[in-house]
Amino acid sequence: MAIPGNKDTRDGIIFALPFLLVYLVFMVFPLGFGLFISFFNWDILSSGAFAGWANYRRLFQDELFFSSLWHTVEFVLITTPVLMVLGFSMALLVTGNSPLRKVSENVFFIPYILSMTVVGTLWAWLMQRDYGLLNQIVRQLGGEPVGWLTNPKQAMWSVGIATYWWTAGFNMILFSAGIKQISKEIYESSQIDGANYFQTLFRITIPLVKPTAALCLILQVIASFNVFGQVYVMTGGGPHGRTRVLTQYIYEAGFRYFKMGYSAAMAYILFLIILVISVIQYAALGKERS
Amino acid sequence: MKKILLRSFEVLILLIWIFPLAWLVITSIQLESDVISSTLRLWPRNPTLENYRKAFGSTQIMHWMANSMTISFSTMILTLVVDAPIAYAFAKIKFRGKEILFWAVMAGMMVPFQVLIIPLYQQFNAFGLVDTLAGAMLPRLAMPVGIFILKQFFEGIPSALEEAAFIDGANRYRIFATIIVPLGKAAMATVIILSFINAWNDFLWPLIVINDTARYTITVGIANFQGTHGTDYALIMSGALIASIPQFIFYAFFRKKIIAGIAMSGIKG
Repeated sequence: MAIPGNKDTRDGIIFALPFLLVYLVFMVFPLGFGLFISFFNWDILSSGAFAGWANYRRLFQDELFFSSLWHTVEFVLITTPVLMVLGFSMALLVTGNSPLRKVSENVFFIPYILSMTVVGTLWAWLMQRDYGLLNQIVRQLGGEPVGWLTNPKQAMWSVGIATYWWTAGFNMILFSAGIKQISKEIYESSQIDGANYFQTLFRITIPLVKPTAALCLILQVIASFNVFGQVYVMTGGGPHGRTRVLTQYIYEAGFRYFKMGYSAAMAYILFLIILVISVIQYAALGKERS
Repeated sequence: MKKILLRSFEVLILLIWIFPLAWLVITSIQLESDVISSTLRLWPRNPTLENYRKAFGSTQIMHWMANSMTISFSTMILTLVVDAPIAYAFAKIKFRGKEILFWAVMAGMMVPFQVLIIPLYQQFNAFGLVDTLAGAMLPRLAMPVGIFILKQFFEGIPSALEEAAFIDGANRYRIFATIIVPLGKAAMATVIILSFINAWNDFLWPLIVINDTARYTITVGIANFQGTHGTDYALIMSGALIASIPQFIFYAFFRKKIIAGIAMSGIKG
């Protein structure tokens, strides 16, 4: 709204100022400063010598970096498809006409409000080798106890399972919002035409919920790429570094071994990867729409 | 018949999904010796509150709860203080460079926090903010999540109200305080609830910036519980439950707002 004689530009800037100050100090400046640090051999307290591209060059010879990157990708692949399907199925249930839909919404969503360290601690206990509930059940059924968190082949899946439980409810909320936006008339007319449940699901709900699915996919991939807390609490990166993810390696390089320049360089590569993936996803999304 | 099968299946799924939480409670009211036992017991043999007594008495959990409370409440209020004015500017004031500024601010949502930890630590070290609660809280304020939600809402407030106030001689500050803030209450509530929960669940940064165990936040404290209490799972679970009490209270009171806020902004904690 423009009011004659009112200084809109001045007002706009004054209103924007408190946030912009915080944003400059805690986001914009560190973003540039981190890039700067990544070109130095920087330890905890004092800045070291200029290193040029050395930190980045070292990355490409560092086996730990590649294995951590691969574990992260593995986690993304383990979690993303399942969490999409779970979220969508839950949304179908809570937007349907089941008498249990309200209860279901609460049951599915409540784990998400817990902090990931509580979730990680709880699942580490459920998956504990000797006395954990899961292995107690396996034993009752006559099976061999599973090394949920100690078997190198199993551990990442176990972290994935805890993550399904923790965040599927978040995707459910997004999908429910998408499904609720589909107009009732479409469903009514399909009913008049005699379509059964699965025809309606595949011909109407799924095609029309695609934009939501795309948003959900982007958020899920990014969130999974940033995985850290669950791994830190449940496995500490073990067994034998088998679940060490990139964020954990960044954290350890910076704050356990105090190679801050190297840690910053790694973080920038992670940023670049996430950026490229987001751009590809958004581009694909735009193409789909047009 | 088909319906009964379908409902039973639903009930089964719901029971499986809620069971980990039930198990959290069940473990927390058992004796340590009953927990470490190879017989599967779905209900405790000797229900006890002993673990809670121990958790409150012999751990620093109350300190951690107090620290997280301080951090989350400050985050919640300060987020609103910095986010609401700029959201109003983006929604209602025409000023030069607005479009560019808006996208520059929203771009902040794309930045993974890991990129900021090294430089922020250096900065905070220089400012003397390492190992302080303020240090654990401040970076959250720069995250533009709330701005997006508030802007969407403020745009829906009719401009006619503002125009009428202008004609009566009110300036921007007055309009903001007497029209926008009261009418934007619903969206502001959503923002503060989400920022409380996100601050409460924050983990990576408090883990880095706090070293003194007395200044831990509850998430960091719980994460290190296993290290210090080994296999005393009954105690660990009671700690985890205590750590979740504020979230349960928030959820009980603000369920709708939390869900609407997530559906609106799609922000993954």
